[in-house]
Amino acid sequence: MITLLKVEWLKIKNYTAFIILSSFFAIGVVTVNYIIFIVNKNIISQSQAVILTGKFSPFQFDKTWQTTSYASGWLLLLPALMLIILITNEFTFRTHRQNILDGWSRQQFIHVKIMMAVLMAFFSAILVFFTALAFGFSSGTSFSTHGISHVFFFFLKALSYNMIALLIGVLIRRTGFAIGVFFIYMGVENFISQLLDVLSVRLRSSNNLDLGSMGDYLPMNSADGMLTFPENPLKALTKGVMPTDYPWLVVSLCIAYMAVFYWLTVNRMAKTDL
Amino acid sequence: MSILSIENIYKNYGSVQALKGVSFNVPKGSVFGILGPNGSGKTTMLGIIMDILKPTSGTYKLLGEVPSEIHRRQIGTFLETPNFYHYLSAERNLHIAAAIKGRGSEDIPRVLEMVNLTHRKKSRFSTFSLGMKQRLAIASCLLGNPSVLILDEPTNGLDPVGIAEIRALIKKLQLEGTTIIMASHLLDEVEKVCTHVAILKKGELVATGGVNEILANEDIVEIGAANLSALQLSVEQFSGYTSMKLEDNLIQLFYPIGTINLEGINRHFFNEGIVLNHLQLKRKSLESKFMELTN
Repeated sequence: MITLLKVEWLKIKNYTAFIILSSFFAIGVVTVNYIIFIVNKNIISQSQAVILTGKFSPFQFDKTWQTTSYASGWLLLLPALMLIILITNEFTFRTHRQNILDGWSRQQFIHVKIMMAVLMAFFSAILVFFTALAFGFSSGTSFSTHGISHVFFFFLKALSYNMIALLIGVLIRRTGFAIGVFFIYMGVENFISQLLDVLSVRLRSSNNLDLGSMGDYLPMNSADGMLTFPENPLKALTKGVMPTDYPWLVVSLCIAYMAVFYWLTVNRMAKTDL
Repeated sequence: MSILSIENIYKNYGSVQALKGVSFNVPKGSVFGILGPNGSGKTTMLGIIMDILKPTSGTYKLLGEVPSEIHRRQIGTFLETPNFYHYLSAERNLHIAAAIKGRGSEDIPRVLEMVNLTHRKKSRFSTFSLGMKQRLAIASCLLGNPSVLILDEPTNGLDPVGIAEIRALIKKLQLEGTTIIMASHLLDEVEKVCTHVAILKKGELVATGGVNEILANEDIVEIGAANLSALQLSVEQFSGYTSMKLEDNLIQLFYPIGTINLEGINRHFFNEGIVLNHLQLKRKSLESKFMELTN
């Protein structure tokens, strides 16, 4: 796999779109968290509610992992788009065929792309880890690993987005069209998720049937549902980012969906004409 | 020994049958031409051999074994169009090809030199002309001195000098023992470089064998006279030939191989009062054989 990854690195290391999107993502992660840091410092910490209930900082240790993971999660579209571009470029310029002609198997071709998706998610999580660490120390609290599992949830969310992007790229093959389908899918899934959430509330109130927030059981929403903004005195002001009802069910579903996306992607690549 | 043996390959695209039970063998050390009009299934056949396309049914063996990526690494293949990363230089693209083939990059200067691209090795692929892209694709095939080359329309987009260079290269490689499988619809090209051919028509194999065997099953004599209608009448009285054809005010008489007697033909028409102003023994061209088989 190392040899395959070296070849993949040769392909992308001088690719402008890769460099630009990676830079945007890295700068974006720091910037988004810095904005929250500044807003909290200058506005929220001065508010009446916080003054009444006590000091709250989203970047104090044990909260910084969750805050940074949640805030950075909004930027995970960038690596996903990058993956769509990288895989569809192979189809557009027919270099996927040349890679096979030169001696890769179809399995090797697709597995190195999946490995790229994993590595991108991993390095995104590393970036989030260090960002959380830096903002945690600047909050003036002492170091704690409590809540660090949110960085792992961030990794899962990143991987989930990347796997969806890869599947769409392999299925659609045209860059613009695939990006369009990715966004349409996001919109459609969010719409269905809202409907399911309404249904969940109705079932709970009329039938006393608690199935949790069913909207969180869809592929992208299960990834989103793992990450929320920390509980805080201004919760009323941040409604809409409530934690999911059954976190481990959502995590399990997220992993299960990824397994399905993996199977579909590999199967598609193995069986179709290139 | 066969480098490639194909057994009853079928390929369907929906209701369209692109290949209909094609079988042939490619002898080791040959330059094997796969000929056919556009849409006859040449590229489909090569795509199946190289695992780009999946056959509907049938089997094939490369180097005597069921093919895998390990076999493909020992073959230099150029299929249809040059496919490279447009944002990378020629040299970097060859680095990628060499790495996939599991070879080092020490061979890159040699192959760039062979196709006269050394001076453009740092240029992006996207800045190349079609001919240069074609030559880069051939350079990529030559990485690591493969024992088998598969080339699909290798002279497409090349200027006459480039075509001559590629032909010379193919002949040189064959002399060095490389087996070359080449798809083309340029009959002149195939006739000049190939030792064996397979001719496809609408997905069916219509002929296969050595070029000389395929061409040499008939001899042709071309005759002409000032009075063409008198000549035609006289030809009808004449015997020994198997068929005749009028082309460009000349009559072509087809004979079983080795049965032509030019002196006897000349004498016959002279005795009939016709003086031939054109009498020529012609070797059947691959083009005429191809047209005969595919029309």
